[in-house]
Amino acid sequence: MNYFPKIEPDNASRREFLKRTAVLSAAAGATPWAVSLAAMGEAAAATATDYKALVCVFLYGGNDYANTLVPYDQPSYNLQQTFRANLAIDRTALAPLVLNPTTSLPDGRQYALAPGLDPLLPIFNAGKMSILLNVGTLIQPTTKAQYTAGSVPLPPKLFSHNDQQSFWQSSSPEGASSGWGGRLGDLFAAGNGNATFTCISVSGNAVYLSGKTAVQYQVATSGSVPVNGIQSPLFGSLACSNLLQSLMTAPNSNLFANEYARVGSRSIAANAQVSSALSGVTITTAFPTSNSLADQLKMVARLIGARNALGPKRQVFFVSVSGFDTHDGLLAVHPGLMATVGNAMSAFYQATIELGVSNQVTAFTASDFGRTLVSNNDGSDHGWGNMHFVVGDSVKGRSFIGTPPVIANGGPDDVGQGRLLPALSVDQFGATIASWFGVSAGDLSTVLPNIGHYSQTNLGFL
Amino acid sequence: MNSISREILSTSAQLESGLNAIALPGRKKSPTLDLLERSPSAVAGLTLLSGLAACGGGGSGSAAVSSTPTPPPGISPASVADAGRFLAQATLGYTRADLTALQQMKYSDWIDAQFATPRTQSHWDWLIANGYGNANNINNSVGLDNTIWRKLIGSNDPLRQRMVLALSELCVVSVLGINAQWRQFSVANYLDILETNAFGNYRTLLQQISLSPAMGYYLTFRGSVKANPNTGSEPDENYARELMQLFTIGLIKLNTDGSLQSDANGAAVETYTQSDVSGLARVFTGWNLDLSGLVSPYPPDYQQRPMVSVAANYESGSKSFLGATIPAGTSAINSITMALDAIFAHPNLPTFVGKQLIQRLVTSNPSSGYIARVSNVFADNGAGVRGDLRAVIKAILLDFEARDPATATNPAYGKLREPVVRFLNWARAFDAKSPSGVWGVGDLSDTATRLGHSPMRSGSVFNFFRPGYVPPSTALSAQGLTGPEFQITNESSVAGYVNYMQRVIVGAGAGDLAADYSSLLALAASSAKLLAEINEVLAASQLSSSTLSNIQTAMDTIPASTTNGALNRIYAALTLVMASPEYIAQK
Repeated sequence: MNYFPKIEPDNASRREFLKRTAVLSAAAGATPWAVSLAAMGEAAAATATDYKALVCVFLYGGNDYANTLVPYDQPSYNLQQTFRANLAIDRTALAPLVLNPTTSLPDGRQYALAPGLDPLLPIFNAGKMSILLNVGTLIQPTTKAQYTAGSVPLPPKLFSHNDQQSFWQSSSPEGASSGWGGRLGDLFAAGNGNATFTCISVSGNAVYLSGKTAVQYQVATSGSVPVNGIQSPLFGSLACSNLLQSLMTAPNSNLFANEYARVGSRSIAANAQVSSALSGVTITTAFPTSNSLADQLKMVARLIGARNALGPKRQVFFVSVSGFDTHDGLLAVHPGLMATVGNAMSAFYQATIELGVSNQVTAFTASDFGRTLVSNNDGSDHGWGNMHFVVGDSVKGRSFIGTPPVIANGGPDDVGQGRLLPALSVDQFGATIASWFGVSAGDLSTVLPNIGHYSQTNLGFL
Repeated sequence: MNSISREILSTSAQLESGLNAIALPGRKKSPTLDLLERSPSAVAGLTLLSGLAACGGGGSGSAAVSSTPTPPPGISPASVADAGRFLAQATLGYTRADLTALQQMKYSDWIDAQFATPRTQSHWDWLIANGYGNANNINNSVGLDNTIWRKLIGSNDPLRQRMVLALSELCVVSVLGINAQWRQFSVANYLDILETNAFGNYRTLLQQISLSPAMGYYLTFRGSVKANPNTGSEPDENYARELMQLFTIGLIKLNTDGSLQSDANGAAVETYTQSDVSGLARVFTGWNLDLSGLVSPYPPDYQQRPMVSVAANYESGSKSFLGATIPAGTSAINSITMALDAIFAHPNLPTFVGKQLIQRLVTSNPSSGYIARVSNVFADNGAGVRGDLRAVIKAILLDFEARDPATATNPAYGKLREPVVRFLNWARAFDAKSPSGVWGVGDLSDTATRLGHSPMRSGSVFNFFRPGYVPPSTALSAQGLTGPEFQITNESSVAGYVNYMQRVIVGAGAGDLAADYSSLLALAASSAKLLAEINEVLAASQLSSSTLSNIQTAMDTIPASTTNGALNRIYAALTLVMASPEYIAQK
């Protein structure tokens, strides 16, 4: 594993900033602050001559970790069943899905993928996928004793869907104005040609993709949506068509009208370029049908296929699938969700091979939070730490990152009912990804403001 | 002094206390909102008072033609623009006749008339009467969208329907999350509960939704079982958490004016902890469907019956949460009642709910004074009653911040009209009907081809958009302002919406829904008159003169000498107005 000595993030980034500012000042004289920031983005991006993309696969609702990555060795399996006998997956169904990492887990611990995730098993075995154990939202490393004593700051509003979704994506609860995907975009947008295509969602709006300056661009699973009345004369009138475009894009003194028009402007301006770029891309990899996640990932693959026409060197994508809030009917619902994820992510990985970018594209899962280990009879409730997947040819695969948490209700690794106290933070997870993406050590705290609280800023899976 | 004057005066008195209360700690203030609070509000308050002092002698400078003195703002509309603005807030759309009627009335009389308007056929009864209880529909949701559109478009109780839509986006249930048979009936009954209580008391609403099968299914406590030490299972926490977080008190302790309470270190004070959730979850155990007297395959009837307690699954031990304790041995129904009483009494509730209702009807970022005034009425209607929604509706719609035309000129004032509301604005303005009576408008959820928004089809209990949503990288976020409806606004939705409206306007894409354009056809020969009419009945007269001028010029390129030409001119004008951000932002 890579290891970076502990740094003082504020000083480090300040040093970095001063260094760059000096360079820029020498080059361009006194530069206004805003221009400096843009120029710095360009400076970072200047090193990005290759292409790389990140794909965040968000599992909305809080995925149930215990039925996703299932303890398989007999003692662990038996122990888990004492907390959720009525949510059990038959051990014989797990046998073909046992994960055999390059380095075995200590104490004979073994995990199996949930049935439905079958398509991911060969990817793991081929060394192209790793699994993070007990990762979640934190502000700083937190022990059980510190949690119990309330002696360290914790992410606000734990166990609340919207706030933990937001904290995962942005390091702030609901109302956050930028996420770490968008802040990555800030660093690279200036080197991307058309900055619009830096951060793209094929799902709804997500704070993950908003930066200080980077703005999320949204496309449908069918691609960009043209305004029909602009494409052809509106009720026979070219003048009306022209006016339609100008009305939809005109600045306005009212903030709401003005922001709506800004979205309209981006929509109309990008559509011509996107639809033209996509028309030249064909993907033969079979994607599953009736799978909304697969539909979204297929569009991501097509956009990646259109990268030369669209121009960016660094892109961050966001896709999502809902339905993971399995308080109820977990055994009926969760296997289908697993199949949705497994089939879609596998197809996407195959498509990156087809496109020749499997080394340059990394996909990862994320979710509001993990859930309780303890059953509520028919499902599980809101938790905290979770298990997540990272997939791509750059991944140092076939490995588990972190330590298997103790299976318990109120044990050393959970805060009650098997709600895992994260041992790895989203900041460390994101920083590892950011480093692979090309972010310098000094810029990590720009992307992940709490990363300075961790001695280990790279978890080594990329 | 009549009761209206007293009401206005008491509002003004509250305004002053609200203004005094502005400088409370912990509130992230927007410079623009500060301006709204300090100057226009104070000015408006003075206007109101001076208007009253002059006993109706003050003029607003508008084009009222009555020979009687122009009333002061806040009591009745001084202009067609005032009337349109009020109806844009209070209804889902209005006709020329509605505008004309309101111009002869005081706002509060209009509201009272709405309170007195009888309800139309319930969702449940309509589904039954139209055969949707046919056994073929047991495992689908057929009929639900139909009855929703029937009411939202066609029901002649516009204020009640406006409130039903608002409440459906506050106390959220979605048919997409109800894994049950007869789910169209389940949601229909839920909507009927919202409608029953839209002009009632919020406490009663909470009781009825908490016992509704729709909520039992959606937030999964139907069938929740008390803790079992043998299996280790615990009660389902879902409803306990979301009831507090979303429907009643929220996560952070609030001051009456909506500002957040903070501790000595400046950290926000949370309203509850995980142990409160676990304690309250014990209340919501043992509840299940009332199938008494029914035989399998069950008819829809049970979806209309309040759930009943199954004694063996109910946690009869004591339950502690939010500082309250329900003693061991309390019956299941008494436990729910006591729990809801405790939550209802929480000091956050009037502000938490009141502010969201303001956001749904009037403006995304009400001033602290406006929030406090509505919250105070929510807490006490003047007769000692908490949660009186009639009083709350009046407090929201009659507040000077909703009524004074000066507030609308503040750049931070107003809200995005929700996509569904825009569609309904059109449908109601031009009396759209389903000639077959089927109302087959369907599911409008698709972002690329429809509205990206369809009632009772939210993706989660967090609604289509959050009241605290701040659109990132915008002038709104720079000022710390929310724009909830921006959460479903993106590059696909802005195009998909215009495309869909372009189809709907000509009578496509919404079943057999068709507008009556006879009033517009009569004006089509004059593009100026036609556009003025559309501006008044659709856009609350809020299009700027330059936009009107540009649209008129473009309309003139479509000759209206034939009926087809006239229709094309109307279609183009409607499409252009509805695509205009000046219309989409309700001010």
